[in-house]
Amino acid sequence: MGLILEVKNLTKKFGGLTAVNDVNFEVHRGEILGLIGPNGAGKTTLFQLISGFEKPNSGSVRFNGVDITGKRPYQIVNLGLARTFQLVRSFRFLSLLDNISVACLSPRGREAFGEVGIDAAASSILASVGLVDKARLPPVILPHGDLRKLEIGKALGTNPEFLLLDEPFSGLAHEESAGITRLIEQLHEEGVTVFMTGHVLRELMTLVPRVIAMHQGRLIAEGPPKEVASNKIVLEAYLGRGEGFA
Amino acid sequence: MMKLQFDWRSRLSRFRVWALSFRGGITLLCLVGLLLVPLTGREYLARIVITAMILTIFAASWDLLAGFAGQVSFGHAAFFGISGYVTAAFVKFVGAPWFLAIFIGTGWAVVFSLLIGIPCLRLKGPYLALGTLAFALILYNLFLTGTWLGGTEGISALPNIGSVFVEFYIMAAFMVASLIIMRAIVDSRLGTILKAIRDDEVGADAAGINTTVYKLVAFMVSGLFAGISGALFVLDITAVNPAVYQPLYSFYAIIMASIGGIATIYGSIVGSFLFTLLSEFLRPLAAASLLIFATLLILIIRFSEEGVMNPFLEHVRDLWDKIRGR
Amino acid sequence: MEEILIFGTIQGALLALLALGFSLVYGVGGLLNLAHGAFFLITAYIVYWTIHLLTSIPGLSYYPLVFGIAAVVGLSSVVTIGAVTYLGLMKPLQKSHIGVVLVTFAMAFFFEQFVKFVGDPKTHYIVPVVPGTVTLLGITFPAQLLALVFGSVILVTLVTLFISKSTIGKSIRAVSQDPEAAELVGINTDMVMMTSVMISALLVGFAAVLYAPGNYIAPRIGWGYLLLAFSVTIFGGMGSIPGSILGAYVMGYATTLTDYLISPSFSQIVPLIVILVMLLVRPQGLLGKKRLQ
Ligand SMILES: Nc1ncnc2c1ncn2[C@@H]1O[C@H](COP(=O)(O)OP(=O)(O)OP(=O)(O)O)[C@@H](O)[C@H]1O
Ligand SMILES: [Mg+2]
Repeated sequence: MGLILEVKNLTKKFGGLTAVNDVNFEVHRGEILGLIGPNGAGKTTLFQLISGFEKPNSGSVRFNGVDITGKRPYQIVNLGLARTFQLVRSFRFLSLLDNISVACLSPRGREAFGEVGIDAAASSILASVGLVDKARLPPVILPHGDLRKLEIGKALGTNPEFLLLDEPFSGLAHEESAGITRLIEQLHEEGVTVFMTGHVLRELMTLVPRVIAMHQGRLIAEGPPKEVASNKIVLEAYLGRGEGFA
Repeated sequence: MMKLQFDWRSRLSRFRVWALSFRGGITLLCLVGLLLVPLTGREYLARIVITAMILTIFAASWDLLAGFAGQVSFGHAAFFGISGYVTAAFVKFVGAPWFLAIFIGTGWAVVFSLLIGIPCLRLKGPYLALGTLAFALILYNLFLTGTWLGGTEGISALPNIGSVFVEFYIMAAFMVASLIIMRAIVDSRLGTILKAIRDDEVGADAAGINTTVYKLVAFMVSGLFAGISGALFVLDITAVNPAVYQPLYSFYAIIMASIGGIATIYGSIVGSFLFTLLSEFLRPLAAASLLIFATLLILIIRFSEEGVMNPFLEHVRDLWDKIRGR
Repeated sequence: MEEILIFGTIQGALLALLALGFSLVYGVGGLLNLAHGAFFLITAYIVYWTIHLLTSIPGLSYYPLVFGIAAVVGLSSVVTIGAVTYLGLMKPLQKSHIGVVLVTFAMAFFFEQFVKFVGDPKTHYIVPVVPGTVTLLGITFPAQLLALVFGSVILVTLVTLFISKSTIGKSIRAVSQDPEAAELVGINTDMVMMTSVMISALLVGFAAVLYAPGNYIAPRIGWGYLLLAFSVTIFGGMGSIPGSILGAYVMGYATTLTDYLISPSFSQIVPLIVILVMLLVRPQGLLGKKRLQ
């Protein structure tokens, strides 16, 4: 098995604010790891640092043993580490199929699907996220739930072995969340490593065997969801902000 | 990068379907109409249409960069002008034949598309607009104040490439080929990637696309076709001067592409022909002509965001369907 | 050295009037107004035509009065034109990313042709309203330019105060920071944007009223002023008001300096190169905020 991701002493400052403060953790190959924390804890910033969209002030990120700190996002994606965004993004004037095709056209996607298999690969990804009947539609007319699925579909187009999912359940109704949960379980069975955030632990509870918790840029707890949920520091972090999480 | 694969048989059957479709039929009809123009024997008309055809390539090249790759350039005249100058210089001072000069001129335009594109990579929106405009203006001023290549006067009295009617068919061939190639590019996988970068650059990066390389490819392809049009323009009017670098030329490209419809390529035909023919027909009204033209321009932009081509074709199609009783 | 100080200040004062409004309109509504230079042009011509008209009336021979009336006519026209342009052309096209750019370009083209059609393509001269010359630090220059500097400083201060203190000014700042949030708290964003376009037109109109006298005007001059406004705004930081004022003076001194040090024939190119370098090194401008994703 072994480690797929090693994060060491990662720090990111925005002016006076330290959004990610000396963070250290590891992700094992094939696991599903959760990341929780109240609003503004620094979860998204941590994802930005790992995926190359922000440069850290110090510290390093190793993926499959390769130092990827400071690499450009597309380079990291082509090494097999893809991500989704908390605020859904899409290629507005492209059909859903083409939205996915773009990712399949990345060097890593081409390698996996072959030059001629792109359309077929994009359709099958669209089917696996449950959007195949809308393949020809543009994303602008889709409801939010479908955009969340598209978001994951685009990441899958790059044939990732490691997926960062930033709040994949946010803004979803219960049954829609269930669909995404099934999808993540299925990816996990196929061997994809998943690292996902959620600021409400309940959403992650059934899905992840291990979570890490973040508060004010620091990691404050680690362990099985039940344990972390009853951790005093974690409770205080959430209570201090007047938010419930369980 | 991208390999364009040709499967002739399926192309042929697809062509047949297209030719019998509404849009295909209209296109072929227009093409035949265009090719008949010289047969009327009216030199004046042929001259105007030649200009329109050259400007079509220019406008379409802007559309490829701005409409498809999302890089809104205000300095497209730089590519147009540099190619025109180099072409003129090679014809005049080296005595190169015109078709060779076009190659060299266009090559320079591609080089300049990289020279301008690379520094502008990080720029977006109004910054990119002003950056490209500044490059074109610097070239304008350099050629205006410099003494090389004819200084302020430019280069003139180039030989004609043939009689008006021969020239007409040469230009038509260039236009048709350029448009088909540009349309094929935007419909290809490369086009999909460019559109993705236009719609969401961060998203394209996250999808594993090296946006830097593809934006430069867009600059180069656009520079190439702008270069071709610049070379043809200079060969047509048999002279060139620093005015080709003026912001006005860049804006002509933008205006023509927008009148026809941005992100269509073929809209440039409608835009350029309307633009050229309208300015020509209004000419007898002297001073009022450009004022009327400006007013029409405002109205078209204001009331037809998609440009005039697609809405017009839709109307005609409705009418056609009604006539056929569907 | 004194020359650079004086002429640089004059140039800076002009640029501040030109750029402040351009930057404001971009900052508030994301509107790139390519008709900005045409606003200068049309004001200058309205002033010129009004003077022409009034001086043909026998009783009116006191030039400052004639000019004053002409200036009022010019300024109120350009502010009206600004409001109409916003309501009729910019607002409906605001959603499309290039619509405003195209339509204001067409507007600029329209004004150029309008001026040519109503008047003629020739250059004209507006007699300065402040006669004579002044000598300062041993440098002699037209007194009109002193009026320009004073006028510019007063107007720029007033507009800055207006934006930072008044209720409308606060709405303007709210909209420029976050239009959607501003809309949610009940600010009429259309009204705010229209006001900014009108302020912008007023400022550029004043630039014309103060700077055109003593200079030649011609249908083409709008483009040059547009480029100046655009450059200073980029230099100072798109949408930043202090940035555009600072940028105006820095550019003013820089161009005057290059005129003296190198050669006036380069004075066209130097600002362009400055802009390019600026764009490449610090695209957000001197005081611009870095855009967040
Ligand atoms: N680009 C930026 N510039 C300045 N500050 C930033 C930037 N991005 C994030 N921050 C700040 O860093 C802190 C951490 O933000 P982040 O988005 O990482 O939190 P989060 O844990 O993802 O919160 P949420 O649950 O709301 O998604 C916040 O205070 C935020 O305001
Ligand atoms: Mg977040």
